Amino acid sequence: MSENIIKIEDLTKKYRRFKKKEGIKGSIASLWKREYEEKTAVNQVSLSVRQGEFIGLVGPNGAGKTTLIKMMTGIIAPSSGRIDVLGYYPNDLKNSFKKKYAIVMGQKSQLFFELTVNDTLRLFKEIYEIPEEKFLESRDYFVQLFGVADIMDVQVRTLSLGERMKMELLTALLHNPEILFLDEPTIGLDAVAAKQIRKFLKEINRQRGTTIILTSHYMEDIKALCERTVVINHGMKIFDGRTSELFEKYQKNKRISVTFHNIEDNINLQTEITGVSNENPYKKVYEVARENSKALLAEIMEFNPDDIIIEEEEIGVIVERIYQEGGICNA
Amino acid sequence: MENLKKNIRVLKEMAYLRFNKLTVSRLDFFAPFFIDGSLFLVQILAFKAIYSNTGRIGSWGQGEMVIYIGTFSMLNAINMVIYFFGINEIPQKIRNGELDLYLSKPISPLFRLTFENISPGSLPLVVLSACIILYGINILDIRPGIIQAGVYVFWILVMEVLYYDIAVIVRSVPLYIVSMARMEQIEEAGLDLCMKLPGIALYGIYKVLFYLIMPYGIMATFPVQSIINEMDLWTGIYGVFIVIAFSIITRIIWKLGLRHYNSASS
Repeated sequence: MSENIIKIEDLTKKYRRFKKKEGIKGSIASLWKREYEEKTAVNQVSLSVRQGEFIGLVGPNGAGKTTLIKMMTGIIAPSSGRIDVLGYYPNDLKNSFKKKYAIVMGQKSQLFFELTVNDTLRLFKEIYEIPEEKFLESRDYFVQLFGVADIMDVQVRTLSLGERMKMELLTALLHNPEILFLDEPTIGLDAVAAKQIRKFLKEINRQRGTTIILTSHYMEDIKALCERTVVINHGMKIFDGRTSELFEKYQKNKRISVTFHNIEDNINLQTEITGVSNENPYKKVYEVARENSKALLAEIMEFNPDDIIIEEEEIGVIVERIYQEGGICNA
Repeated sequence: MENLKKNIRVLKEMAYLRFNKLTVSRLDFFAPFFIDGSLFLVQILAFKAIYSNTGRIGSWGQGEMVIYIGTFSMLNAINMVIYFFGINEIPQKIRNGELDLYLSKPISPLFRLTFENISPGSLPLVVLSACIILYGINILDIRPGIIQAGVYVFWILVMEVLYYDIAVIVRSVPLYIVSMARMEQIEEAGLDLCMKLPGIALYGIYKVLFYLIMPYGIMATFPVQSIINEMDLWTGIYGVFIVIAFSIITRIIWKLGLRHYNSASS
């Protein structure tokens, strides 16, 4: 069994934020007497990660996923607790540590928009002190893997969101990091681009043995990629275990959105459904238990639908269900 | 040594990227030559208006004042060419969380921020400033030797470090508190005053303020004193001391600030 490369014990991050009373009176009063409230973004989280693992970090907005990643990369310092990543205390911000990981943030780009990706790569080659031969070998490998040879010399600003994300990954992976932190890498991407990104990540984890820690809102990402999932809510870890277990136990329903050519009012279904709503006269959204989804689809097909979209339940629903059932922590 | 070599390589690459970036838009490339040149002319005209009506300031006559103006312009021009546009973006990068990307790369974030936006468009200002200095030397009819010229260049470089230190300190404030509390305006006002008035004309509280607390008053004064043979040993020691002290303070404020950095939410 491979060793733990990330060891976290009771990690906590607290922020102090200014609480302003309403109105002009409150604004003036706050000039003399200020009230602060303490927000615990991450609350006593313990976690260990083995080399080569692909872990999903999920939770609703503001759950503390990104804060946890920022502490693991040293960008911010924890308020208390212990953290060891690859033998380093991350917030010491040692260059030798920074060479061993990479971080890709879906909402922050490390590329120069006016220039080409090749230009950015040249700078990163020097920053990471990659020898020329290794640089060319690594670049060619990823260019081929991502299929981006024809857009390496194109201005970054002209790339589509999907292409740009591929380039972000290419840039991050150039120095062959031991750990890759991904913060919402598929945010805003269409289904095709998201699927491609997922394929590449799987390949990198398998072929290069890169440990990957991924935060995402999309359960599809987690289901397709991560063997292990950690669910965080209000800064606390509420589930840590096999992804299959998470889905089997807590993801009970599917959402099936059906668009019809004509207005369909009289649809009497035999399959038991947990809920139905009309988004518009032509579209119905069914909530159905996972085991009944196949039967429901077969029934719906008899009405000649124009379009069918099958979605996993949102993370918020799953979190709610974990709470209702008491929550578990395996690791 | 290894680190220095790496920094030089990164610096070279950043300069190359910056040049490429500037040449993408012709306006971006050529505009600074005209804009900086125009600002420079406005400054010179303001000085001319002031000093054509004033015979002496303290013990300095017209020649010394012309060298002083040239020296301050030189300090400002070097600042504009090398680090102004990089350092100036620090508060914004702290506020919008872009600093995250600098902190996660194996190179000093401050080094990268300092040199990533060099501005070749401000280079003509360096040449123009040198012309003003030479003109002042000509008025005074002094012929500085190589050593004296070397000492003058030394003071220019040392004071450029001081200029940089103060700029970084002011722009590190958002690492501790979100608001800049218009600190940049204090900096601007201090620079503006000391650009027009040499340190030798300051007394009392003003001298304490501009020689010690916000030492803009010594930035151009000391190099000029060195070239006109007016600098005594103690003034020299004080100058070096203040620069070292400010460099240490800058380092502490920046390093501690990074520990305070909370990063904007994603």
